Amino acid sequence: MSVSIVQPPQGFRLRAVMRQELRLLLADRSVWVVALLFLLLVGYALGNGLAQTAQRDRAQAAVAQADRDTRAAQRAQLEAILAGRAQPTPFENPADPSRMASSYGAQHAILPSAPLGPVALGRSDLFPSQFRVTHQSRVAFMNPSDIENPWYLLSGQFDLAFVLVYLLPLLIFVLGYNLLSAERENGTLRLLLSQPLRLRTLLAGKLAVRAAALLVPAVLLPVGVLLLARQAGFAPSAPGAGTVTFWWALLVGAYALFWFALVVAVNAFGAPSATNAMVLMIAWVLLVLVAPVLLNLAVTQASPAPSRTELATQTRTLTAAAMKRHAELLSTDYKHVGQGALLLPRDGKIEISARGLANYRIEREIDEAIAPELERFERQHAGQQRLLERFGALSPAAVAYEGMTGLAGTGARRHAQFVAQTVGFHLAWKHFFFPRIEERSALMPADFDRIPRFAWREESPRELRDRALAAVLQLLLPSLLLFGLAGWRLRRFSVA
Amino acid sequence: MWRWIANREFTERLRDGRLLWAGGLVLVLLFTALGVGWAHQREARAEQQAAQALDYRDWLAQDRRHPHDAAHQGMHAFKPEAPLAMVDAGINPYIGSTVWLQAHRQSEVKFNPAQDATGLQRFGNLSVGWILQVLGPLLVIVLGFNAFAGEREQGILRQTLSLGVSPLRLLAGKALALAASLAVLLVPAALVAALAVGLGAAPGERADALLRLAAWSLGYAVYLGAFVFVVLGVSALCATSRAAITVLLALWVAQAVMAPRVLSEAARAAYPSPTRLEFNQALQAELKQVSDRTWLQAFGTTERWGRDVPLSQWGIALRLDDQASYPVYDRHYGRLWDTWERQQRLQEWSGLLLPLLAMRSYSMGMAGTDFAHHRSFTTAAELHRRRLQDLMSEDLVAHADPLGDRHFAYQSGPELWAKVPPFVHRTPRVGWALRHQLRSLAVLCAGLLLAAAFAAVAVRRQRALA
Repeated sequence: MSVSIVQPPQGFRLRAVMRQELRLLLADRSVWVVALLFLLLVGYALGNGLAQTAQRDRAQAAVAQADRDTRAAQRAQLEAILAGRAQPTPFENPADPSRMASSYGAQHAILPSAPLGPVALGRSDLFPSQFRVTHQSRVAFMNPSDIENPWYLLSGQFDLAFVLVYLLPLLIFVLGYNLLSAERENGTLRLLLSQPLRLRTLLAGKLAVRAAALLVPAVLLPVGVLLLARQAGFAPSAPGAGTVTFWWALLVGAYALFWFALVVAVNAFGAPSATNAMVLMIAWVLLVLVAPVLLNLAVTQASPAPSRTELATQTRTLTAAAMKRHAELLSTDYKHVGQGALLLPRDGKIEISARGLANYRIEREIDEAIAPELERFERQHAGQQRLLERFGALSPAAVAYEGMTGLAGTGARRHAQFVAQTVGFHLAWKHFFFPRIEERSALMPADFDRIPRFAWREESPRELRDRALAAVLQLLLPSLLLFGLAGWRLRRFSVA
Repeated sequence: MWRWIANREFTERLRDGRLLWAGGLVLVLLFTALGVGWAHQREARAEQQAAQALDYRDWLAQDRRHPHDAAHQGMHAFKPEAPLAMVDAGINPYIGSTVWLQAHRQSEVKFNPAQDATGLQRFGNLSVGWILQVLGPLLVIVLGFNAFAGEREQGILRQTLSLGVSPLRLLAGKALALAASLAVLLVPAALVAALAVGLGAAPGERADALLRLAAWSLGYAVYLGAFVFVVLGVSALCATSRAAITVLLALWVAQAVMAPRVLSEAARAAYPSPTRLEFNQALQAELKQVSDRTWLQAFGTTERWGRDVPLSQWGIALRLDDQASYPVYDRHYGRLWDTWERQQRLQEWSGLLLPLLAMRSYSMGMAGTDFAHHRSFTTAAELHRRRLQDLMSEDLVAHADPLGDRHFAYQSGPELWAKVPPFVHRTPRVGWALRHQLRSLAVLCAGLLLAAAFAAVAVRRQRALA
């Protein structure tokens, strides 16, 4: 006569395991220490991110205000000149398009902070978020222009992305390195599995409680703080902020899942707790510290940047040649010395000094000649980015970091768009001023409304979502493989 | 006795495979980093030397032109790649290597390599310095975490002590074994590095480069030595190997991963830098004020290009303007750079508790890739710009138009261009670098002494436990 044993419903068992694990975790003082430490780190990182973003926003607002003030003062001066109340000077003449196109009338292209900017500062300290656009070649103004201590740039910023990418895996290890090994070493595993309880259910229960304990401060807390900060006006807000935040939460979840999967896989091999800890630590060093550095090295070796030294030499050679071509204009003395009336607009026209004209033509020629070289730099950046996306999966830390900075708008893509839009603005600037310079047309107050202004166009939400989805999948795939490996090993797991 | 202990410990490290696997991995990374650094340096040096020579040749080959236009075209100063940059790139990836020496204004160094790097730059650069600073202590932990705790678990420690072996001798033996394990890995790497640095350095700077490498290596010996004692001390204090490795890894994460960012943020909060707008506005305001005062004193007017200052006076006006601007630039840039140095100093002092911060400063200081070296180059480049500028203005003063209404029509020739010497910047000598890094070295040495004292106290407690 055969006796069939009916397996009890595992859902009920899972809840029981979770309740028990939660009780054990709450009773463990070290877990409280870990949780407090994590909360402190998350809080500090978030606070720092919010403060840095607010500081940058304030600096940008000051730059935009300075631009507006300059423009308004120039317009008022022009009106006073036309009314005969003021005299222009050769280098401060708002009626002269060659002066207004130059640094005297320069305007900034400004990259605003994205809604998730405070959670991942990314390369916001390395890449400028403002360019001062003039009629000069962009080789002259499209350089990192923010003031920052290089030591600070070398160290990197303490933001939430750093805490999550570097430290979250370590906390997952602290809570999970002995997930099964401790039960076995204490002799309780045999007892537990003598109950109507599957090993997988036990593992899932333990995992779920730990995941909840870490993901609440890692995801829900920052989301809550961001929402409050946005409401209070301390953090940038924009349409679509909710969707981006959702993808960010998903990305953090997928990254955490990878490390939990690794914890389970390592535990499934049945080694002692000390060995598990060592293996996990080695994996962390290799995947978080070493792999991204090697990947960065490989990408820059495979797609090296064109030489900036060569660019400097080319710029100088082009400048010398252009100055030579316009030597005659440069040798012409100023006619207006002692004859201030020459600087005044007359019948909609204005006399541009020969040297002013020469300087404009020199800049224009350098800009045209250097453009292909700058495009080579942009192609190289795009090539590096493609390589990173293709091989980034070799390090989950690299995928998560790139994904987070991408969603926060502090990564390479959004900056490339900023550069492209600034190039467009520069083009519009030149289209506005160059014909006026050539025709010697004086600027009138009404023309001031038509001077191009930079207006940032945000990244397409669809592209943003597609890239976030790709990053999530790049994290989920190795997680599934690790869970698969764990499942295979658990079938032959010895409780003894 | 301690030699015997050291011998036994060292043999054990070899037998259990830790030295082979962990050390082997670090060694592979070290040689990769050295190879990459060597290739990069060769390329960068050749390129910079060629560009600097070409730049000066073009300067000399100018046609006849107005000296002020020559000053406007200016020339470039390329920062020479320090011979030891191949072992520690320091701040080089985050700061440019080219300065445009032009009329009127002090330029900043442009074209930093980080602007062309990928987002992964944030994870660090693979350099010998980075490996030794970050992975070096981890290697010491892996090799030594169970030196005392493991023996206690097995009961060997009690037996050894009961034989009358002094705990301090035991510590000396184990420290020597750990040091020997590191030496087996690092001395060959240091010899290869010495060969690469010697070959890579220009003939005139070879001896200096090798002396710098020796001082640099000494710093790492002190740094890793401190970790040897910290690891042994913690291992002696902890009841189990597991507890020892947990404590040591937590310390390592705190100092290698978190401290650089936390202290860097703290230093910036303590000594804030100005924003670009604030800096430019303050600089421009003072430049204008000083220039107006100078014009008023010299010409009785502040109006440029007016009747009161005929064109024949423009050489004098330019010279006055430029020379009045020099102290203004010195003040503003000096203040900014002093702020950065104060930020760095705060981090170096924190090296007492977190040796990585002092080590990082010392390493890049001896490699010639720190901010002090960069400041010395920038200052030299600016002095060269002023020399160029003054020579051009002097010529304009000497050839002022006697008719009083011409200025730009005057043209000078090659004899004037040849008066400007080529820009040559020699990396400061090892003594200069050491003087600038005395604080970091002192902090590192103090760290070593503190670590040794901690280990001694921890080990002496073994007697009571035994």
